[in-house]
Amino acid sequence: MKKISINKIEKTIGGLKFAVILLSLFATFMIVGTFFESYFGTDFANRTVYKTWPFMILQFGMFLSIIFAAFLRLPPKKRLYGFYTIHSGLITIGCGSFMTYYAGVDGSLVLPPNSPSREVILNEDILKIRFPDEGRVVSFKLPYTGFATDIGETYQDIELRRYFPFADKIFNWLPSKRSYQGSEPLHSSRYTIANQMVSQDFTLSLHPETIDFQSNLTLGPLTIHYLPSSLAKCFGENNPSKLILWDRTKALCYTPEEKNILIKKAESGNRFLVVDNNGERLSFFPDVSPWPLGNDMKVMRGAQLRIFSKKLFEEKPNLFLFGETTAFYNKDEEKWFSKPLKQGSPLEVPWMGFELVLDEHKYDLVPTLLPTKILPIQKNNEMIKGGTRALELVVQNQSYWVTNETPVQLLINGKKVVFYLQKESLTLPFEFVLTQFEMKKDPGTNRAASYESFVRLFTEKGPEDHHVFMNNPLKHQGFTFYQASYSQDRQGNYSSTLSVNVDPGRPFKYAGSLMLVFGSMWHYWLNYRKKKKPKITPLV
Amino acid sequence: MKTFTMALSLFLISSISFAQTSEVKNTYFCQDELGAIPIRQGGRVKPLYVHANELIKFLTGKNRYQNLSGVQTYCLLSLQGLDLANNIELTARVDHIDAQKFLELPTGQKTIAIKDLVEELPSLQREVRKQKIKDSKTKALQTLLNQAALYREITSGQNWVLPAMTNDRVDWIPVTAFLREDKIVAAKELSKTPFLKVINDEVQKYEELKGTNHLLEYRFVRAKLPVVSMILTLLALAALTLFKRFTWCLSFSALTLFTQLALIIIRILISGRAPITNMYETVMFSGFGALLLSLIVGHLKKEKVYVYMGLMYNACTLMMMNFATGMLSESISPLVPVLRDNFWLSTHVTTIIMSYGALALSWILANTVLFKKKFSGLSIADENYYSDHIYTTLKCGTIMLGAGIILGGVWADYSWGRFWGWDPKETWSLIAFIIYMAILHGRYTSWIPTKRFIALVAGAFMSIMMAWFGVNYILASGLHSYGFSEGGALFLGSFFLVQTSFIILTTTGKQKLLKTSEIVG
Repeated sequence: MKKISINKIEKTIGGLKFAVILLSLFATFMIVGTFFESYFGTDFANRTVYKTWPFMILQFGMFLSIIFAAFLRLPPKKRLYGFYTIHSGLITIGCGSFMTYYAGVDGSLVLPPNSPSREVILNEDILKIRFPDEGRVVSFKLPYTGFATDIGETYQDIELRRYFPFADKIFNWLPSKRSYQGSEPLHSSRYTIANQMVSQDFTLSLHPETIDFQSNLTLGPLTIHYLPSSLAKCFGENNPSKLILWDRTKALCYTPEEKNILIKKAESGNRFLVVDNNGERLSFFPDVSPWPLGNDMKVMRGAQLRIFSKKLFEEKPNLFLFGETTAFYNKDEEKWFSKPLKQGSPLEVPWMGFELVLDEHKYDLVPTLLPTKILPIQKNNEMIKGGTRALELVVQNQSYWVTNETPVQLLINGKKVVFYLQKESLTLPFEFVLTQFEMKKDPGTNRAASYESFVRLFTEKGPEDHHVFMNNPLKHQGFTFYQASYSQDRQGNYSSTLSVNVDPGRPFKYAGSLMLVFGSMWHYWLNYRKKKKPKITPLV
Repeated sequence: MKTFTMALSLFLISSISFAQTSEVKNTYFCQDELGAIPIRQGGRVKPLYVHANELIKFLTGKNRYQNLSGVQTYCLLSLQGLDLANNIELTARVDHIDAQKFLELPTGQKTIAIKDLVEELPSLQREVRKQKIKDSKTKALQTLLNQAALYREITSGQNWVLPAMTNDRVDWIPVTAFLREDKIVAAKELSKTPFLKVINDEVQKYEELKGTNHLLEYRFVRAKLPVVSMILTLLALAALTLFKRFTWCLSFSALTLFTQLALIIIRILISGRAPITNMYETVMFSGFGALLLSLIVGHLKKEKVYVYMGLMYNACTLMMMNFATGMLSESISPLVPVLRDNFWLSTHVTTIIMSYGALALSWILANTVLFKKKFSGLSIADENYYSDHIYTTLKCGTIMLGAGIILGGVWADYSWGRFWGWDPKETWSLIAFIIYMAILHGRYTSWIPTKRFIALVAGAFMSIMMAWFGVNYILASGLHSYGFSEGGALFLGSFFLVQTSFIILTTTGKQKLLKTSEIVG
């Protein structure tokens, strides 16, 4: 009885109907995969179709079907020699693919110019928690999924709540998590600057809790400084020395002229002034540094008093913003201006017809780019939406978002903890340096004709020089390095990206492929029978 | 410079010996013969004829402008950069309704003077830059922007570059800098056509140093071998089907193969690589390969129907090459770095394309049998007989497809470090392979009856079309942006629709089933 049922199972799995059902399912999965890739990108298609358990089980089912179909046709018959070869080939390819999946490495190595590198970036997402005081690092593997996933794991006082593998950052104003003293500047503002050709919106903030926005910005030749609102009044004053003193703790500003502070000239030609700050004598060299020198003539970084020399900001375009006030130097009129900004009404600034608009101003809210789960969008092999990965952490009942773009640093029970969301990496047993990167171009165009990396490999035997380019990989200690892409920094220096691969299944896949092709030919050769031509209706 | 230009204009106007009396009268020295001179554009040296025609076609959708050839139009437009005026007014097509609205065209007007488009350049740039996601409107505006920018480049004399020789060095300089006053004045002493003399003298020096490969391309393009091949194929097909002259059919088929072989070899000589790197070349190669294969198999099997299959498919491909020029561009461009490997190009791509050709033969025969069976009648014996031949082509095609996929895997492993990466092109080839494998298995074990087998083969070719064209024309551009205004998607959509309707039409309802005796009788 038992034998019969095993036979039945064998016949079902090795049968044609089962094979055709599996093949149809396999093809359907792949069709969905290619459309997913077209819409949402390669990574999403891998996470939702190609590298999922159902698809792998399906492939395993096909593997079984191929084995059983061959078993069912034993003992060997000459007419089926080709058939056995084809099926053995497919089984060999399957084994090779499993070995690649299980023991293979597929990653990339970024080589900045002339600095050694040995970190291979792999595909898995991980959370790294670093405790700098203890010199300890803990890693968590995050789920390989295409959709938002609840994690619900806890480590010490840290809860890993939700993970978004594809997210977009949406702007939000959030309340402060801590309380602050009244004099501390916390304000943040959103502005738009535009002329007929371009328009740019930006957010600037002084809030200590914001991690997404800063207090200064560079837009082409224009530098924008965001300063506490209490400084605004002094910037509008056209005092002869063009100096402003700023008391950080009292949130007060004044000019040396206001307090009758004498401005002298040092032997070097630089101006200097001495300010009595509650009995402490502070010496300022405003044309050199905003920080004072103390009684011991040492620079006091972070001192209560600091100085601004507006002269330093007259040559190049500098825009000072104080929330609801702006100040700038007009070169034509050789004068400083301070003007109030009303929400929604444009103010002309003296560069290339630009107008500035205050869109929003908040006194103590935190401007935040809050990750929101989305389906990614890919266009022309480029991810245009959803390139952010985000993980929500809960620490002491407060929620924090770590993204792959910004690590988060927290003080937990008085200890510094840094969270990084990154890709798993592998350290190579040898080191690489990119000594030269060459991009040849098609004559008369900017189109790349080839990318070539000249690398130096530091091995136990000493340094070796290699040349890696398209269709010419480098093989070393079981690793293969291929020219994959490159990038260029602002100074024009090239970095090269090599894809790194270890594939223990390679020989099996090659052998299986050969068996498959030759088996097919053999099969048809063995089964060829010349048929007698019947009497038929000619088609043409 | 201004006096020079004025003197130049006067001189030219007074010395025009070949001025024409039609719309554009003053053609200066812009003759068709200029088409043979070399130009370096798009990363390679080619004859001006090819470059000028491609550009004028890109700008206007046509190869000519009124009484002027592409070369003359390009030349005259370039001379505007030397302040030599003419009344050429090129117009560009604006098919996208939102682009028409953006340009504020009057209702019903689908063209715009490119001069006006140039004035719209800043606003076009702003609009295109504003759009983060490239939808069909942005694509249409991007095309107009490219047309306007190109027109500006041509009319400023910067696009037409000529070889300036200094000892062994070639510098490609714009026509405005090339036709220097001193050179023209000196040439005027020696020739009645000083401009042509200056150009021809320099080109002669260039050819002595660098060779005349551009002339080969010039003659090749003018010979219009794709048109010749198409006519020959149609003649062979007519000889086979209408006039029942098999010897004539074979002669024309041989001539077709010869012409196509010449076409392929000359393209290899011009580009220096295997001619299978873009849609135009793969279509060309698959038609040629399928005809060659069908003649060989037909000869071995002593069966005319293979010749019919090969000719029919070759005619389809040649018609696409000659008429679907918007979808298949015949221009030869430099390759992306990863394809620059002649060994893998000529093994992997050739095998895949040959497999498409072989499977196309089965598609032709399956559809013909379906048609015949529905409309003029076939017996069961006929069906079985022809399905055997379909099976033969299917076996050839599937083995080649399998081998091609594997070779692709080996190449991918060699140049990207992975044997298989679920890239859409490789995935769709595998889908097509699996579909054909399922059909082959079903047929081998007699699970699929002959009637269904033929319909399945006719339908299965859609998977090949998806792998071949669909991945490039539908998947690559993304689904939400392609409109049916784009040639490739429209072609493929129509193909799927017609093929599916044809299968439904021919497999449902009454079939004309004849007894063998009726046919023989």
